[in-house]
Amino acid sequence: MNALTRKCLLPALLAMGTMLTLPALAEDSVNVTNLSYRTGPFAATGTPVMNGQRDYMLMINARDGGVNGVKIDYQECETGYNTEKGVECYEKTKGQSIVTQPWSTGITLQVLPKSNIDKVPILAPGYGFSPMADGKTFQWAFNPPTSYWDGASMILQDISKGDLASLKGKKIVLLHLDAPYGKEPIPLIQAYADKYGFTFQAIPVGVKEMQNQSAQWLQIRREKPDYVLMWGWGAMNTGALTEAVKTKFPMDHFVGIWWSGSDADLKAVGEAGKGYRSISWSYPESNSKVMQDIKKYVVDAGQSMLPKDEFDYVFYQRGVVISMFTVEAMKAAQEHFNTKVVTAEQLRWGLENLKLDDAHLAEIGMTGMVPPFSTSCADHSGHAGGWMLQWDGTKFVKSSDLLKPETEMYAELSKTEAAKYAEANKPWPINEDCKM
Amino acid sequence: MDLAYQILVKPFADMVSAPDFLMQVLWEGLVSGVLYALIALGFVLIFKSSRVFNFAQGIMVVFAALSLVGLHEHGVPAWLAVLLTLGIMLVLAVAVERVVLRPLVNQPDIILFMATIGITLFLVGFGELIFGGENKRMITEQLGIPTGSFEFEPFGGLLSIQQADLTAVVGAVVLVAVLILFLNRTRMGRAIRALGDDHQAAMSVGISLSTIWVVVWFIAGIIALATGIVWGARAGVSFALEVIAYKALPVLMLGGLESVPGAIIGGVAIGLLEKLFEIYWGQPLLGGNTETWFAYVLALIVLLFRPQGIFGEKIIERV
Repeated sequence: MNALTRKCLLPALLAMGTMLTLPALAEDSVNVTNLSYRTGPFAATGTPVMNGQRDYMLMINARDGGVNGVKIDYQECETGYNTEKGVECYEKTKGQSIVTQPWSTGITLQVLPKSNIDKVPILAPGYGFSPMADGKTFQWAFNPPTSYWDGASMILQDISKGDLASLKGKKIVLLHLDAPYGKEPIPLIQAYADKYGFTFQAIPVGVKEMQNQSAQWLQIRREKPDYVLMWGWGAMNTGALTEAVKTKFPMDHFVGIWWSGSDADLKAVGEAGKGYRSISWSYPESNSKVMQDIKKYVVDAGQSMLPKDEFDYVFYQRGVVISMFTVEAMKAAQEHFNTKVVTAEQLRWGLENLKLDDAHLAEIGMTGMVPPFSTSCADHSGHAGGWMLQWDGTKFVKSSDLLKPETEMYAELSKTEAAKYAEANKPWPINEDCKM
Repeated sequence: MDLAYQILVKPFADMVSAPDFLMQVLWEGLVSGVLYALIALGFVLIFKSSRVFNFAQGIMVVFAALSLVGLHEHGVPAWLAVLLTLGIMLVLAVAVERVVLRPLVNQPDIILFMATIGITLFLVGFGELIFGGENKRMITEQLGIPTGSFEFEPFGGLLSIQQADLTAVVGAVVLVAVLILFLNRTRMGRAIRALGDDHQAAMSVGISLSTIWVVVWFIAGIIALATGIVWGARAGVSFALEVIAYKALPVLMLGGLESVPGAIIGGVAIGLLEKLFEIYWGQPLLGGNTETWFAYVLALIVLLFRPQGIFGEKIIERV
């Protein structure tokens, strides 16, 4: 009997148990893996965003029991912002995660050509290759709610107070990380410079020079620009702010993209950074329903990795908004396909059909945290716009109404760049069914 | 012809036409150079005594700076936090000697080098676990480091010298002077040098390998803390500080891996030359960001003629 139990009954029971439990588990959860970086030279700016992303998913699981009953199995694969490691993470997780979030423009550019074959949607909110917004060409890539070119357009509109012609004769410098991310706005700003007659100069900062930007700021001192725009990340932001203070560059003429607007970076210079501005497509609303729920179900429950005092930070709450995109896309796909557990392909449809209007943002408790926008098969960004945030010495405050990008300025450029990309990577499938 | 003018004439004309700016460039180059020298010294000391190229020097800078800031965040007064951080670096030195180096005595150099990569990975994970990855503000004011600037108007222009940079340069010079005195005038310093010359001979006259290794790793820890304070004051304290260790590599190639004067002169030379090249040739002619490669090219040229570096000892191997 013992032998019979060992040889037949136990394996049979185990097999039955496996058959009963595995499908149940699989039906109840979907894997969402973030290609995160909590270590390395860019951890300082990556970590708060990852914390926000993670906490939103944990809150959805704890408060609602998942998305319509489907739990989110949130995982992270550490890339250290290293492109090679990022590609490794992508290859390792593409079979299980319903979405890939590369978290680096360099990694995004590497995995972009694979997306048509692997059929995993790339979600790159507010980063990546700007023409990815063209959904006809980039069927699997999404950069909601607004692209780098949108960001550049909004910054130029803001510094010219809505009159771009007033920039004629001015000098604008772009201080940028010497990486694909930092170089992203160059063609557009150059196009603006050609059209409106201002002088544009790009000044790169190498990764090894992030903490020691004295050469770049000596150049700025020599060139005497009217404005310095910054596409910085990680320690580059603090390095630049410290040098700007040292050089006595007027802070209100120093404007960063949304990844150069981290509270922690500005706290490093404190009062001296007062006046510095950063365009942002998200805004922290700590009293909003969603943030209070995160506080209740995740932070107070001891489940968060968030350091104390960082709950109000722009980057943390931006991470929350980013995870919301995935959850809302899941909900849309569940309804459309009449299913509970969505696949990567179904999620792609959901990301292409986001409808985040004022009413819906109010319903999910996120009013004011992100501008309303929607996506479509042709528009994978939404071009939502953003607000100019200004550092008041201790925190970021809104210093503008909602700014909208001047998309018609670069619609042709976007189309041309998308077509160039498709040509360089042919055969590249185009979604001909999608009407622009 | 125009290119020749841009390379051979214009940079010098620019220097002459704006001498205040040239002085600013030289000052910034000197500050960078002294700081590079400081990082390089950490490598040199360990290499001299144990023939180990310490890959962990960069992460030690991060770990020391994070410990200092972290302790202060927990209410420890600034200078007490400095002392406690030195205590942490001493514990780290003892732990490295006991756990990593001692079991690997007599192993090939490459094994010891790989072990320091292991130490790096451990400290990255351990540091992340304790301190988190967020950027932190260096406690510059609390340590009494002045944050204002001295401004001069040479030739009717402007020369701005940050008091923090001046403090860093003075501090680094004092630290280096103390180190040189320690290495040359004390019994322990002579033991370290003896061990660097010949392990077997040094041990045969009673020099304790394990004690020296602890002392040397502790000194490297002190240098790491000084480096962390200075660089942390410039761009905050985060894991990004680890990257600055790479700037020491061309300094070591130029000055020689086992030469203290080499590290100092190499550091200052690279700091000055790369800044001059970037401002007067790199930015106008090559689009800038030449500092990422200039020092390596310079070091490679030196290696072509002196493989042991300018101040390194010539290696003679009998086959």
